Amino acid sequence: MRYTIDDLLPIFRDVLEDDGITLSETTVAADVPGWDSMNHIYLVVAIEKRFKVKFTTYQIQNWKCVGDMLSELNK
Amino acid sequence: MLFNSLPFLVFLPAVLLGLWLVFHRTKTRQNAFLLAASYAFYMAWDWRFALLLAFSTLSCYAMAIRVEEASDMRVRRLWLRACIVLSLAVLGFFKYFGFFTENLSALLAAMGLHADIPTLRIILPVGISFYTFHGLSYILDVYYGRIRTHRDVVDYALFVAYFPLLVAGPIERATHLLPQLKVKRSFSYPQAASGLLLAGWGMLKKVMVADNVAPYVDSVFSDHAAHSAGAIALAAVGFAVQVYADFSGYTDIARGISRMFGIELIRNFDFPYAAKTIPEFWSRWHISLSSWLNDYVFTPIALGLRDLGRHGVFLGVMATFLISGLWHGPAWHFVLWGGFHGLMYLPYIYSGKGLRSLTSRKRQGRTPSEYPMVALTFAIVCVGYVLFRADDTHIALGMLGRVFTLAPGGIPREALAVPLFGGILFLVEAAIASEAVQTRWSGDSLPARGLRQAVYLVLGLLVMLFWGSGSQGFIYFQF
Repeated sequence: MRYTIDDLLPIFRDVLEDDGITLSETTVAADVPGWDSMNHIYLVVAIEKRFKVKFTTYQIQNWKCVGDMLSELNK
Repeated sequence: MLFNSLPFLVFLPAVLLGLWLVFHRTKTRQNAFLLAASYAFYMAWDWRFALLLAFSTLSCYAMAIRVEEASDMRVRRLWLRACIVLSLAVLGFFKYFGFFTENLSALLAAMGLHADIPTLRIILPVGISFYTFHGLSYILDVYYGRIRTHRDVVDYALFVAYFPLLVAGPIERATHLLPQLKVKRSFSYPQAASGLLLAGWGMLKKVMVADNVAPYVDSVFSDHAAHSAGAIALAAVGFAVQVYADFSGYTDIARGISRMFGIELIRNFDFPYAAKTIPEFWSRWHISLSSWLNDYVFTPIALGLRDLGRHGVFLGVMATFLISGLWHGPAWHFVLWGGFHGLMYLPYIYSGKGLRSLTSRKRQGRTPSEYPMVALTFAIVCVGYVLFRADDTHIALGMLGRVFTLAPGGIPREALAVPLFGGILFLVEAAIASEAVQTRWSGDSLPARGLRQAVYLVLGLLVMLFWGSGSQGFIYFQF
């Protein structure tokens, strides 16, 4: 199964508690209000839980945008 | 050679003239000249410091190439760790050896053991905490694939040793500074004029505000038992004014000077005392260090502990602030200050999302309903400043004890300096902010030019007037 932005969006909206959030593959943390370093950790935890995956710290640190998250999920 | 010293008044014009009249033709000449000037600047303290700076530069430069070239992940990690260990060992030896041996002796004595631990009188090389962090951020960014290595050793050495930021930051990132060093810069009058003005404002904050609040602050912190709760509280507020005027003034000078060389340094302050929460304060105060610690300390720790949920985040925050405290100096009161700020994150980590969302900075302006939050945050920051500024933990706790038990007594007349120079600082900040707008909008129209020249004149006169009364060293040079 191939995951898309639509799979990630509900997680972002839930963790950042903002239903107005929109995402694209090029979205970076600075584009999304509330996506700070603390919430980034909660996002990672929520994504791992939802998709039943476990990322390494190295993989996570390599993410530059939402597209990188999706690529990792779809590997 | 301090920015507010007479030798620097000779050094800076000489480097500016040298760069733009003699060594301006190619990027290579520009960088080689600036590198030589940076080492000359650094050697003005002690020529031996330059050896350490060169060693730190070359070791990170060489090991980053190893990290990039290694195809095996384990080898990459090995070179990264080697560089981190080496860099921190050098920093630890020069900055923390005495602290470690003193505390070890005290611990052993408390256990009834008497060991003859060697003590060394080690001179702390100026700026070591700053350039060590430059090198570490570079190799970590290479490791995580955020940047490619930069093979021109002169450019890289300049990135580490660039004199405007060498001794007290801002702590630059390779991703921001190196691309500017890779290209030839050209002299631009508006850019140089705006740099001179920014440096002038910074100098004014230092010599007019910081240096004039310092005497009252120093008198209270050196004899707190003789002062009332009100006098101590005002001294804490006074230190808030002093340290901000001093450090942001230093940063403005550094950024202004660098702008005259055609190189933009990152902004280090963003109206920190307008923050309405402690996490927001840290997104506005000493931004280059806060973001460094966030990216290279908090995030890896918190990610590693994420299975612990909020506890993992809290441990990451505490570890980051304790390290931040220790980075500021080898003393327990700095560690306590760091721990205090870490504890202030508790409500935001363990509360619901509503409170957590407060930590995200969304806009600059403040509404009257937010003023109580801003005042509360400032009060918390001032409590932290008592821990930070006091000579030791015992004094800091004694001062806070006197404030919270409302120790009786009057307030000395000298305390008037706090509201007076605090108000001046506010006006200067407003002027700098409006200058930023003016620079963007004005272009080169005559009225704008006339206004700028009038500002230069008033600024120059004020700086000379207050400089003449005797200026002190910058607070962050000791770190």
